[in-house]
Amino acid sequence: MSLTRFNKVCRRLNGARYFAIAVHNPEQDEYTSKPHYPPIEDLSFREKLKRKKAKLHDEIRNVKTVEEKQIKLNMRRYYGFKCYMVNEGYCPYNNLPLAQHITRTHLKAEKKLPQLYDNIDVSSLATQLKNDVEEIILIETEGYRKKIKDKILGIEDGEDFTSALTKSINRMIMSNLAKQYPHILDTQFDFEPRIESTWYAGGMNPPDNIKRYREGRDWTKEYKDDPTDRLMAFIGLPILTLRSQLPLPTVAADSDVDGINMELPEWQYDPRVVGTKTEQNRRIVNVPGYFPGDTHRFSQLSYHKRHHARNTFGEVIDEECSLSRQAIVTSFGWLQAQANMLGFNSFNDITYPMITQTVITDGKNWSFFVYQMNTILFHTHFAKENPKRNICWGTDEMKLYEGVSGGKVLGFNEEVLKTLLKFYVNEPRERLGVNLTPFLSNEEKVAADYTDDDKSNWLEREYKFLTSNRPRYQLPYEIYAWEKIYKIDHQSRFMDKRLRPFELFQNPYDRRLDDRLPEYIPRKLRPDVKRWVGRYKKEYFP
Amino acid sequence: MSTRWYPMYRKGGPQLRVFLPNFWLKLVRPTQEQPPNVVQFQCSMEMTQFDIRNYLEKIYKINCIDVRTRIHMPKTRRDPGKGYIIKDDDIKYAYITLPKDQVFKFPELFGDEEKKKEQELEHERALKEAKKGFEDYLEKNKDRRNLPSWYSV
Repeated sequence: MSLTRFNKVCRRLNGARYFAIAVHNPEQDEYTSKPHYPPIEDLSFREKLKRKKAKLHDEIRNVKTVEEKQIKLNMRRYYGFKCYMVNEGYCPYNNLPLAQHITRTHLKAEKKLPQLYDNIDVSSLATQLKNDVEEIILIETEGYRKKIKDKILGIEDGEDFTSALTKSINRMIMSNLAKQYPHILDTQFDFEPRIESTWYAGGMNPPDNIKRYREGRDWTKEYKDDPTDRLMAFIGLPILTLRSQLPLPTVAADSDVDGINMELPEWQYDPRVVGTKTEQNRRIVNVPGYFPGDTHRFSQLSYHKRHHARNTFGEVIDEECSLSRQAIVTSFGWLQAQANMLGFNSFNDITYPMITQTVITDGKNWSFFVYQMNTILFHTHFAKENPKRNICWGTDEMKLYEGVSGGKVLGFNEEVLKTLLKFYVNEPRERLGVNLTPFLSNEEKVAADYTDDDKSNWLEREYKFLTSNRPRYQLPYEIYAWEKIYKIDHQSRFMDKRLRPFELFQNPYDRRLDDRLPEYIPRKLRPDVKRWVGRYKKEYFP
Repeated sequence: MSTRWYPMYRKGGPQLRVFLPNFWLKLVRPTQEQPPNVVQFQCSMEMTQFDIRNYLEKIYKINCIDVRTRIHMPKTRRDPGKGYIIKDDDIKYAYITLPKDQVFKFPELFGDEEKKKEQELEHERALKEAKKGFEDYLEKNKDRRNLPSWYSV
């Protein structure tokens, strides 16, 4: 506990007056026909830890609004957490098993979309729109366009081309279908929105430092190899996303959701052994491309580039795996962030499945994926015990066209357009009898709902600061290399005054988010009371 | 390529010399648990990721999918005679990813059985010594029966 926090607690204790008013009626309370015993609890270390964590998770669930929940998740660390980065654009070799483990996803072996899509008939629409798509391809390949990145790299079908092509195709489809399908008229779309998502994944070997720490004490030795949780941070790079007010209909049968027979690859290694990078001091951020309180909170469709699959190793290796990995990671990442906007999080599982549709393309080659998220709870013991799986369906990669020559598109594949149209036509529907936000308060769902303006403004500011992931102004504490060598490893400077935190048995990184002085109110702006009253602004930490 | 200084040839000096390159790789047992298709090496500090890939591909015909390196800083220690603090040389580690259907298992160079025998031998030796010590003690005190051992001081 730092000094400021200690002072705060002291102040609180001094100011408090406690009165015990006990109304005791011995005739009523003292005897009952059956004795009431407190529940017998398992006092083993693992069970105690489980209960301690469950208590904290209950606290998070009882927090009222979306913003407060996000702040509450971040309360443990003032400077942020160590995160294992899951970048959409960086896919090391053979990353699929890891991706499946950290998202708990079962990847369907047969390359086919779920049955729901067979029932959607779009053949007449496809023939109607075929010419328009061809025209767009011609314009984008041969017409004049600013292709800065592509020009630098000296390629024709680079990221700029893909981005422009998909945006044009989307615009054309939306404008053509809006009349016929009211849900498309209502859809919101975002160009290159910010998508970030953070969740806890369990079931992996502990890192070396934690093993050493556990080996250091006698009573923790037996828990040496217990798996530890890791905070996975996903950063997405979509070209375009479509959102709707209502969720998409579920695709998997109910028996599939609880299926233990759905295979998950075994993965117990530290993610760093396959090239996953880590970042210190990141906050738990869940941004699905919109602010809390948006009306269009459910995903419809997202387009993604596939150029990194080419760029990671300099040559194309194992592209199919890296595409599946990208689809799984992006779909789960986006859905998880959406779930956070609905009041769920890593500790409080979703109560209904959420679905998204993902398209990965470089303009010519198109892959389609459907993802159903059934659970986001797989930290600590849930990694083994939770029977639910998330499911991903995908098609083989298909070519939209073979090439362009003489002002004509060669080898146009209508099947691709049909599949794409099915994703648009698939209508979001109301979930009858399902409360979409069971863990949010009925009165206040977002900070703006609070009638106390001061509170809602404070919450909004704090939430936006945390989600920005900007570092603090003051440089964080660090132990310099010379200190590590000459002061910690070898005490060669015993005459130096002990002033640094590591010499005073303190760890500045143990600081909690609320371990700070609130904002100061100048004397001029305070009411005419005693000098020391009301110096600091009120804070509303959940 | 070699940047070593070899002694100049003089009359009578050895005719045949082995010119060693700067580049070397040493296969080591992984410290972290790793997937079966990842191999860990110590390598020369001058080698880049491209050098490592070329070394393995050209000399040993090993298909390297991915090469990652890191430089490990060893612990500092006091010089035994002088007392000041010294640091051992840094070590560059290379992690090679093989195609996922290939498996590499670090070989068991010195069998466990030999180790066990050695340990047993040590244990027996200690037991023998203890026995001998006790016998010596009995021998020393044979004419002073029933007297406690501290009485002799």
